[in-house]
Amino acid sequence: MQTDWASENLQVIRTLMERSAVYRRALAPVMGLVGATGIAAGALGAALKLESSPPFAAYWAAVALVCLTEAFLLIRRQAVKALEPFWSPPTRRVAQAVAPAFCMGLVTGILFFIVDTDDREEVLSLVIIWMALYGLAMHAAGFFMPRGFRLFGWGFILCAVAGLACLIYAQAAVESPMGNPNIVMGVLFGGGHAAYGLYLYFTEKRGNVV
Amino acid sequence: MNTKPFLQLDRVIHEKGRLPIVSLLAASPELSFTELRDTLKMTDGNLSQHIKTLQEAGFVSVTKTYPGTRPLTTCALTPAGRKAFAAYIDLLEEIVRQARPRR
Repeated sequence: MQTDWASENLQVIRTLMERSAVYRRALAPVMGLVGATGIAAGALGAALKLESSPPFAAYWAAVALVCLTEAFLLIRRQAVKALEPFWSPPTRRVAQAVAPAFCMGLVTGILFFIVDTDDREEVLSLVIIWMALYGLAMHAAGFFMPRGFRLFGWGFILCAVAGLACLIYAQAAVESPMGNPNIVMGVLFGGGHAAYGLYLYFTEKRGNVV
Repeated sequence: MNTKPFLQLDRVIHEKGRLPIVSLLAASPELSFTELRDTLKMTDGNLSQHIKTLQEAGFVSVTKTYPGTRPLTTCALTPAGRKAFAAYIDLLEEIVRQARPRR
């Protein structure tokens, strides 16, 4: 009798300790806004014909900065509204999880900025590297977030693999208008975030939305 | 069965309302009052009462800051609280271990 009770208590303690480490901010508005920014940035980049590597890398680094600022402001607003600290332990864990891949993405962007090329395949290879790194960052963050987030990371990793396959085996797709690196960024990064935001909007527990 | 471990369980922690609070705090350096309340779905009054009991036992420290216009209350386990929680877990594990058939 006491044994059952002790086992149950240990299980409850374990569940609560795990829950304490999970990041709880509502992600639907963040994903929605970042998605909309990505789609708009993709369209603008294509219209401005930013296809050689220096303007492309600089432009998308600026878009990433805008997206990070948007996410920061939305999450901070949620924390202030809920009377909770912004820089909470789960936020710290998520930041630590994404930091290595984000740093690597920044370094790769700088390298492509320095190496001046207007070869579409080379610029697309930067997109693929960014996508793989972003997927890895999201997957790492997913260990401290609700379960679906790791699948979101896997989505980007699989897109990177598919992009690599296109680059090697489907030259026609690379040379088509849809192979424009800005359109690829807009559709995959912007569209991916917007789709995930929409999914979260309908599935995220309202109780967790603070 | 040896009932000694059961009798040794810390009565402050070993309470339906307080054990979840201590468990959450054990996994995090600190948590705000609202995070605890929302996670455990407790009322403000109930949570305040349990935190006060834990504070009086020296297991929890409460800090009040004013980052904006409204106060922010954060709770953390004290070293004594962490020690008591670890001892509590050890006793639960001992109870479970005792009941296992010996090989």
